[in-house]
Amino acid sequence: MKKSKLLSIITLALMLSMVFAGCTQETPGTPAADFDFDKDITVVARDAASGTRGAFHEIMNIIVKENDTEVDKLVVGALEFDGTDKVITAIEGDKYGIGYISLGSVSERIKAVAVDGVEPTVENVRSGSYSVSRPFLLVTKGTESKLVKDFLKFTESAEGQAITNEMKFIGAIDAPGEYTASGMSGTIKVAGSTSVAPLMEKLQEAYNELNPDVTFETQAQGSSQGIKAAIDGSYDIGMASRELKAEEASELNRYVLAIDGIAVIVNNENPKSDLAADDITNIYIGEITKWNEVK
Amino acid sequence: MQTRQSNFNEIVMQAIFFLSALISVLAVLAICLFLFMRGIPAISEIGFTDFIFNEKWGPVNIPASYGILSMIVGSIYVTAGAIVIGVPIGLMCAIFLSEFCPDNIYKIVKPAVNLLAGIPSIIYGFFGMQVIVPFVRENFGGNGYSILSASIILGIMILPTIISISESSIRAVPESYAEGSYGIGATKEETVFKVMVPAAKSGILTSIILGIGRAIGETMAVVMVAGNAVMPLNKIELLKPIRTLTTNIVTEMSYASGLHESALISTGVVLFVFIIILNASLSLISSKTQRN
Repeated sequence: MKKSKLLSIITLALMLSMVFAGCTQETPGTPAADFDFDKDITVVARDAASGTRGAFHEIMNIIVKENDTEVDKLVVGALEFDGTDKVITAIEGDKYGIGYISLGSVSERIKAVAVDGVEPTVENVRSGSYSVSRPFLLVTKGTESKLVKDFLKFTESAEGQAITNEMKFIGAIDAPGEYTASGMSGTIKVAGSTSVAPLMEKLQEAYNELNPDVTFETQAQGSSQGIKAAIDGSYDIGMASRELKAEEASELNRYVLAIDGIAVIVNNENPKSDLAADDITNIYIGEITKWNEVK
Repeated sequence: MQTRQSNFNEIVMQAIFFLSALISVLAVLAICLFLFMRGIPAISEIGFTDFIFNEKWGPVNIPASYGILSMIVGSIYVTAGAIVIGVPIGLMCAIFLSEFCPDNIYKIVKPAVNLLAGIPSIIYGFFGMQVIVPFVRENFGGNGYSILSASIILGIMILPTIISISESSIRAVPESYAEGSYGIGATKEETVFKVMVPAAKSGILTSIILGIGRAIGETMAVVMVAGNAVMPLNKIELLKPIRTLTTNIVTEMSYASGLHESALISTGVVLFVFIIILNASLSLISSKTQRN
C-alpha cells in the first residue's frame, strides 16, 4: 500500500512537471513577429450583471438606446467571465484577445492600450482626456443642511479621498483639505447608483467612526433613481455613476466623488498599443472581426 | 435494572440513528422548497414558454428577456460530449483493471483513478484554461473556449465514476460465468466481452448515468473553459463557446437583483428537474435488475 501511494505521488509529480514544462514553452518569445493579423479577434466581456460591463458598454455605445428600449449589442460568441481575474487570465492566454477591466486591476500580465491616442493613466483619467471613464457623482438640491455639508466635506477631505483611492477609484480632488469631527447628529438619506454604493458604504463607515450620532439610510437602485430622488427632495444625496443630463444639471449641485477608469486590454504579444474608440466599439458589436481590419 | 438501562440505551441510540437518517431527507426537502418557492413565481412572471423555449437571454436589456433554451441545449451538448469522450475510455479502463491488469500496474492505475476523483473542480477548471483551451485553439481552431474544451474536461472528470463503478460491477459477476464460458471453449477475450461485460450491463449503465449527473451539474470547471457566451441555437458549433445552465447561474449570480436573480434561481429549478429525471431512470434500472 505504501509503495502504491509513493508511486502515485511520483506519477502525479511527473504529470505536473510535464504540464508546467508545457506552459513555459508557450510563454512569449518574440513579440509581434508571429502575430497573425488574419486571425479572428477573441472578444472578452464581463457578465451581464457586472457594473464594469454596464459602464463600458454604455460609454462605448455597445448598448443602444431607442425610445424606451435598451439593447446590448455585444457580438454573438463573445466570451463572458464573471470576474476581472478571469478576464485577465483569458487575455493573457490568447494572443488575439481583447477585454476590459477596471484601471486599478491592470498588471503586467496584459497590456492596457491607449484609446484614441490617450494612455490609460491615473493622470489622464483625472484630467478627463482618457475617454473610457465615468464620474462617480454626488448630487444635492438647493442649499444643503449643515449635516449634509459636513458629510460632503468629509468625502472631499484627505481622509475621504484616501478611502476612495483604497477602493481603486481615482479621487477627483486635487488638494483635499483636512477634516475634523463635527460631532453632529441626525439622518442622511442617500439613494442611487449600485456602482457608487460600495464606496459610499466605506465613506459612511469612516464618517460614523468620527461622528457616531449620524445615521445613514442608503438605497441603491441605479443612477437615475438617485438623481430623481435628489430632484424631488425625497433623499438628501443622490449617487450617480454617469454624467448628468442638461435638464438634470440645471436643478442640482454636482460633486465629483471619484472617477472610475476602465482599461481596454490586449495580449502582451499584440503589436497594437493604440486603438480608436470607434474600432473598439465595432469589435464589440461584431462589425470588426479580424485584427487586420483595425487601424 | 440491567435490562432497563440497556433498553434506554437502545432507544437513545435508535433516536440518534433515525435523526441522522432524517437530516439528509430534511436537507433535500429544504433545498426543494427553497428552489421552487423562489423559482416558480419567477417562471410564471416571465411565462413558461418565454422562459424555456426562448433563446434570447438579455437580463439587462429594456425590456429584459429571460430565455434559457440556449443553455438547456448547451448543457445537453456538453454532457453528451463528455459521455462520448469519457465512456469509452472509462469502460475500457474498467475492463482492463478488472480482467487483464497485472498486479504491479494495478497498483499504479487504481490509486491514480482515485486521485482523479479527489481533485477539486476548480483545479480541473484551471488546468482546462491553461492547458486544454490552448490545446484546442492550436489543434482544432477557434479561440479554444468551446463545447469541445468543456467536453474534454468533463470527460476526464467523469472517468473515476465510470471506472470504479463499472470495475466493481464486472468483478461482481460470479466466477461460474467465466468458468462456464471457458468450459465450452471460449478464449479469455470472448469470455470478457461476450459474457462478463454483458452480465455487468446494469452496473455499467448505472455508472454512465452517474457520470451524466456529474457532468450536467459541474460548474466551476465548465465556467472557466466554455466561454459562457449565450449562443442562438443556429450558431452553436463544436468549436464555439457555449453557456450551460450551471454556468449561467454562477456567472451572473453575484450582482444580480430582482427578477434577474429570480430567473437565475429558476434556471436552478430546470437543472434540478434534469437531475430528478436522471435519478428516476437510475432507480428504474436498479429495480429492473433486482427483478431479474
